[in-house]
Amino acid sequence: MKCRWIALGLIVLWSVGCIAQEATRIVDQAGYTVSVPSTASRIASVYGIGTYTVYALGGEDRLALAFYVGVKTVASASDVLLRWEPRLSEILGFGDPNVEELVSLRTDLVLADASRHLDVAEQLRDLGVPVVLYRVETPEALIESVILTGQVLGPESATLASEWIADYDRVVVSISEDTASLAEAEKARVLFLGTSLSTVAGGDMYQTSLIRAAGGRSVTAELTGSWNEVNLEQILRWNPDVIVIPPYGPVQPSAILENADWQALDAVKTGRVYRMPRLVAPMDTPVPESLLGIAWLASTLYPERVRLDLAAEVAGFYEKYYRFPLTQDEIGRIAQ
Amino acid sequence: MIAFSRKPPVWVLGLIPLAAFAIALWVGRFGVHWGDTFRVLFGLEGPSDVFRALILRVRLPRVLAAACVGANLSVVGASFQGLFRNPLVDSRILGVSSGAAFGAALALSFTSHSLWVQAGAYTFALAAIGLVMMIGMRFGSSALVLVIGGILIGALFNSFLGLIKYVADPLSTLPTITYWLLGGLNGTQWSDLPLLLTVSGLGLNFFILLRWRLNLLTMSDTEAQALGVRIRGVRNAIVAVGTLMIAASVALAGTIGWVGLVIPHVARAWVGPDHGRLIPVSAMLGATTVILLDAVARTALPSEIPLGILTGLLGVPAFLVLFLRFLRARGEAT
Repeated sequence: MKCRWIALGLIVLWSVGCIAQEATRIVDQAGYTVSVPSTASRIASVYGIGTYTVYALGGEDRLALAFYVGVKTVASASDVLLRWEPRLSEILGFGDPNVEELVSLRTDLVLADASRHLDVAEQLRDLGVPVVLYRVETPEALIESVILTGQVLGPESATLASEWIADYDRVVVSISEDTASLAEAEKARVLFLGTSLSTVAGGDMYQTSLIRAAGGRSVTAELTGSWNEVNLEQILRWNPDVIVIPPYGPVQPSAILENADWQALDAVKTGRVYRMPRLVAPMDTPVPESLLGIAWLASTLYPERVRLDLAAEVAGFYEKYYRFPLTQDEIGRIAQ
Repeated sequence: MIAFSRKPPVWVLGLIPLAAFAIALWVGRFGVHWGDTFRVLFGLEGPSDVFRALILRVRLPRVLAAACVGANLSVVGASFQGLFRNPLVDSRILGVSSGAAFGAALALSFTSHSLWVQAGAYTFALAAIGLVMMIGMRFGSSALVLVIGGILIGALFNSFLGLIKYVADPLSTLPTITYWLLGGLNGTQWSDLPLLLTVSGLGLNFFILLRWRLNLLTMSDTEAQALGVRIRGVRNAIVAVGTLMIAASVALAGTIGWVGLVIPHVARAWVGPDHGRLIPVSAMLGATTVILLDAVARTALPSEIPLGILTGLLGVPAFLVLFLRFLRARGEAT
């Protein structure tokens, strides 16, 4: 564990050194060497998850086009999101990125998703637009993506990146200390649902790592890949202690708590069915804000044990990384 | 024609779906002793509330739905193959499935409530066949016009479906639509069943009563008319009832391929081309196949296997075997 942090620290130092030059040469998460202009001022992020990292590292003013997770139109954006990004109607994009559109916007850097945008990236490179590809589904890859974004955005962002890594580490270590005395069998068995009652998060997803970091055990850890479709019998067989619903999609806790077929589950008997709250980013996805997701889940699983002050963490994160003060009411939506 | 040397009485075949039904109620991810399954079914004391709920509320509606879907697809497939005098036809020929798929996707982009999804699928399945019939009325409803109309309307609804998928939210709606289109019975509840049970019951009876007339429709229009059958009326009635049965099946289970194509051929290989036997045997074999495949779909792995994938995996080799036997019978293959 220690070794990894030292190595990451060295990468950060190295990156700070690099940024002093005109153009920064970096290796993105798909293995491409990219020459990023240090003056990149019209950035397009066509990877919703990557967009939130740009904000967390203070690069939002340089976005010329941005995709957000689950935000299709300005009309569908929440009040917090509209206040958080006043330029939303100007820069919001959605769907498949259009190469010509990206070029006509005079973007000088594109942030994209390695699992979906390899073709688009190829075309953009041919047109002389540098592309940084992300591949994020584990905590390690998240940290790597934050460092990478810091390198791309410049020295101030690189400093914020290393501060965020320290914060992430602090939250994870604090929770693991609080839950250290729990034997494996005592840990809460968590089912992470998807956007329907029969969709569950597979073992390779960030959600599984999130549950582990929060001191729980994912009952679906044995499943491979992304979202899996399962039947009620399998859920009865897992019989989770806690059910978590993601902050997007139509499922609400009442759909489970009031469903006659789900009453045999321990989570339903004890009423431990929660929908993850959301202000800006979905905290269950590999975004910087997921450190609040870990803190929220740990506080929800073990309210007696976890010492972290969730309200202070939420307020502090939004203040420091989004430069966006929250109202008490908004803080209360996450920290009840 | 390939036929088995002895034709078993139809009532004996009725035992096969019953056995499949019993097996399907017993197997599942959540282990239940067969004795408990029996006690729950006959209302005897003993099994826990969880077992009772599992068998009566989770498995029973799903197995019933599987039986209806399998019987509907096969019977409609068998009768359409006769009606259109084309052995490669199945229920999708008239664009009904495409209409249903579009309707379901449209509903799914607003709500995930299964009754709305069913309603959407059913409505647009009927809209699709309505358009095909309008084409038929304009150009004379011969088998050819209906088939061409079905292909056109099916293609139209496929484009609409593509549009819905294009604008769907890739994080929540799109995976739901994609999964629905793969076909399956996951999450079937009693509240989903009234339409399917009613339409299947009436429709299957209609086809069983009409099965002798179907033999006449396999002749050319002029031959049948010479025998005194009012061909257009009968054909329209078969298309209409068949469509209702397919729409009800697709609305609940999504698009499940191969059953409607292969099962009638298996039945034909067994009892011959006479619709008097072919229709009931297709119903029984279809019900059995879908019941058993659905049992595999929900039991084999922790995650559900889409039923449409399983029917394809089994349907393609089964079709090849039948085709090879057909070629051998004609002396074109060794």
